[in-house]
Amino acid sequence: MSTFDIPIGPQHPALPEPLLLKLEVEGESVVGVDFDVSYMHRGIEKLLETKTYFQGLPLVERICGICNAAHGLCYTLNVEKLYDKEIPSRAQYLRVVVEELSRIHSHLLWLGVAAFEIGFNTMFMYTWRDREHVMDMLEAITGNRVTTEYSQIGGVRRDISPELAEKLLKTMDVVEERTKYYIKVALTEPTIAKRTQGVGYLSPEDAKATCSVGPVIRASGIKFDVRADDPYAAHDEIPFNVITYDSCDVFGRIIVRAQELLECVNMIRYALKNLPSGPFRIKLPMKPNAGEALTRVEAPRGELLHYTLCEGTPKPYRYKVRTPTLANLGALRAMLTSKGRYVVNIGDVPIIYGSIDPCICCTARVQFIDVKKGKAWTWTLDEIRNMSKKVKA
Amino acid sequence: MEISITFGYHTVFDCEVDRVMSMLSELLKNLFKKRATVLYPEEKDKVHVPEGYRGKLEFYREKCIGCTLCYQVCPSYTIEIITDEKGKRPVFNLARCTYCGQCEDICPTKSIHLTKQFEIISLDKKDLVVK
Amino acid sequence: MSLESYLIEMLKVLVFPGFIFIFILALFYEWFDRKFYAKLQNRVGPLYAGPFGILQPLADLIKLLSKEDIVPKGVDRMLFTAAPLFSLTLSIFATLLLPIFSYKGILSFEGDLVITVVLLTFLCIITFFAGIASYNRFAIIGAERSFLQLIGYEIPLMISVVSVALNAHSLSIQNIVLSQKNMWYILGPNILGFIVFLFAAQAELERIPFDLPEAEQEIIAGWNIDYSGRRLAMFRLAKNIELVFLCGLAATLFLGGPLGPVVPGYEAIFFTIYFIIKSIFVLAILTIVRALFARLRIDQIVSFSWKYLLPLAIIQFLIVRLIV
Repeated sequence: MSTFDIPIGPQHPALPEPLLLKLEVEGESVVGVDFDVSYMHRGIEKLLETKTYFQGLPLVERICGICNAAHGLCYTLNVEKLYDKEIPSRAQYLRVVVEELSRIHSHLLWLGVAAFEIGFNTMFMYTWRDREHVMDMLEAITGNRVTTEYSQIGGVRRDISPELAEKLLKTMDVVEERTKYYIKVALTEPTIAKRTQGVGYLSPEDAKATCSVGPVIRASGIKFDVRADDPYAAHDEIPFNVITYDSCDVFGRIIVRAQELLECVNMIRYALKNLPSGPFRIKLPMKPNAGEALTRVEAPRGELLHYTLCEGTPKPYRYKVRTPTLANLGALRAMLTSKGRYVVNIGDVPIIYGSIDPCICCTARVQFIDVKKGKAWTWTLDEIRNMSKKVKA
Repeated sequence: MEISITFGYHTVFDCEVDRVMSMLSELLKNLFKKRATVLYPEEKDKVHVPEGYRGKLEFYREKCIGCTLCYQVCPSYTIEIITDEKGKRPVFNLARCTYCGQCEDICPTKSIHLTKQFEIISLDKKDLVVK
Repeated sequence: MSLESYLIEMLKVLVFPGFIFIFILALFYEWFDRKFYAKLQNRVGPLYAGPFGILQPLADLIKLLSKEDIVPKGVDRMLFTAAPLFSLTLSIFATLLLPIFSYKGILSFEGDLVITVVLLTFLCIITFFAGIASYNRFAIIGAERSFLQLIGYEIPLMISVVSVALNAHSLSIQNIVLSQKNMWYILGPNILGFIVFLFAAQAELERIPFDLPEAEQEIIAGWNIDYSGRRLAMFRLAKNIELVFLCGLAATLFLGGPLGPVVPGYEAIFFTIYFIIKSIFVLAILTIVRALFARLRIDQIVSFSWKYLLPLAIIQFLIVRLIV
């Protein structure tokens, strides 16, 4: 039987962001896959070099609209490492509250998107409706729905009042009740089970080999969570469980994310009850000390990594961001390739792709542009390897 | 509840009705609920804007001491420093503003305030300049 | 035939219960489907065009009709033009068989039940040709899927229809309606057949969970990906008329069609109202099914049809066979 290529993307209803999946298809089953993520270049890292560390924060939050709180937190933790100053623990607790709130909103959003990918529009509408409660709370705490910019260099933007904390706890009750309902639906609904069980299989060995992160690796049964392994902010004081599931498929990723929602709710409750008193922000000078800093944060999608090199000026010499989607792309290739009894259907491609919670715009950041010739191109891994060999020689 | 039909050892048909019910009951409940949508331009009073929302910027000239700190923290070059009869002062071009609120936070005399006003659209660029 | 009776026949075909009535009914059913679906999902649905957005389907249709007519390069021009026309013609023709205002439709003859089932298959075949005509990868996959789906639901659908005919001892719709004077078949032995018919109708109409031929997230728009403007409008209208037809057929075969208590002398009005109420009841069930499930995969659809629908249909047939 002859194969033929089907391009999915860069413009496709299932993909909110530009990505090209070249599927080699035999009938309805996918036998080969190749993808290209380099459609979106925003030059954020270069732009960060032209701004001071304080000006950079709003820009960093805009790397990703959905995990903006994680990006902002990672950035501030990273920059604070250059200062050698103790950050008040009230600020650290409040950072965790907002980080976990944004994780709830991200996971609820993902549940909706996953339901949409398998054509379950009702579930999509319900999860996004319930997510509004969380968005309202984020707006009340930070002053904005999406670009929260709550975590600032030296602490947090504003304190949380007791009334607001009370309101937040009430919202958490609503979220908990709804989440339990969604877990029940995911576990019992027959069509969800049919579309997700045994789909997008990623064995624990493959998950390790492809360096996947976040809910993807946890759904393959491996305990890997930066919050537990390398605690930051107040995560060393707030107890929580690392959720894992061993089904290694899309169903497992749904369950992991849904149960993480319950963990988030408990963490927020604990943080609000045990909120230390004291200042919520300290003033830091514009100029950090010279040096390097590297921080890892567990974003909703997985491990997020920020690196900076400072030469003692207010502006960074270099700023580097590694987003979780980039780490999960290798796993995506493993999931999308049929091997042996495991067959990937065309109909499964959107949900498998969606199951890593992709955010392509945060991912692609390297492009070479020759201004004189008016040419733009990207490098493959082999070309970069060859280049490094040349440099060594 | 489970319906199943078997001939001898062969199950020809089985169906768990409960599994469908969890979603069905929710669907029928929603049939009698009020819609979740807020019809925004028609129902403006239903849009709840919380205290501390970062909306349109207000500037109080009498409080400003001309320290230019806001100019230094602004990430998007919204602020231009000009000199008037009382000394240095900022001028804000809201067309560029990202509503991050850093200028409000850093201002030592609280002369900048972000209001709850979120409808900022204008057909004329000049309306977006706050003096 | 005198001129008067000729004119009356013409009016029947063109106005009531013919083309214009069916056209209005189709748009109304689409509105009802969308509004009810939105209500189930806690949304508003169509809102602005007319009261409660009731004119929204008409507005969509007019918008599509006024758009530029595009024939992409490389399509089979003749088939590409003919498919929407055939689809619309066949679905309108099918609705003429429905008993809307009396015991029989405008067209009525012994064996018209067979024609309805044949027309349903033809509509699916036209879908296939429409997809093939546009030589697009996604369209070809969609067309292929629509045929695979047909293999699944066609046989259970026919068996469920046949068991009704067996119950009524007749292959004509008129006699089936008349035989339900005492008891509707859904209340009698044909409840299983009704369930099978609903699922098959859902598959025929390409709605969730059987909307694979035009699954948006997978193959964009499937077989109608290249159709735009007035061709798409024709397809959409045909789909809506098919919706009226299938809901009406379910109401006719299982819910007693236009029967109900009437004031003598006003049968036509009462029959029409009963017909609409009953078919909207069927439509509401179809909409709930649409909101209740996720989309199945193609292999799952075929196995679902053969594992669940076919045994159900056969059991239904056996029950009827034993009783009659």
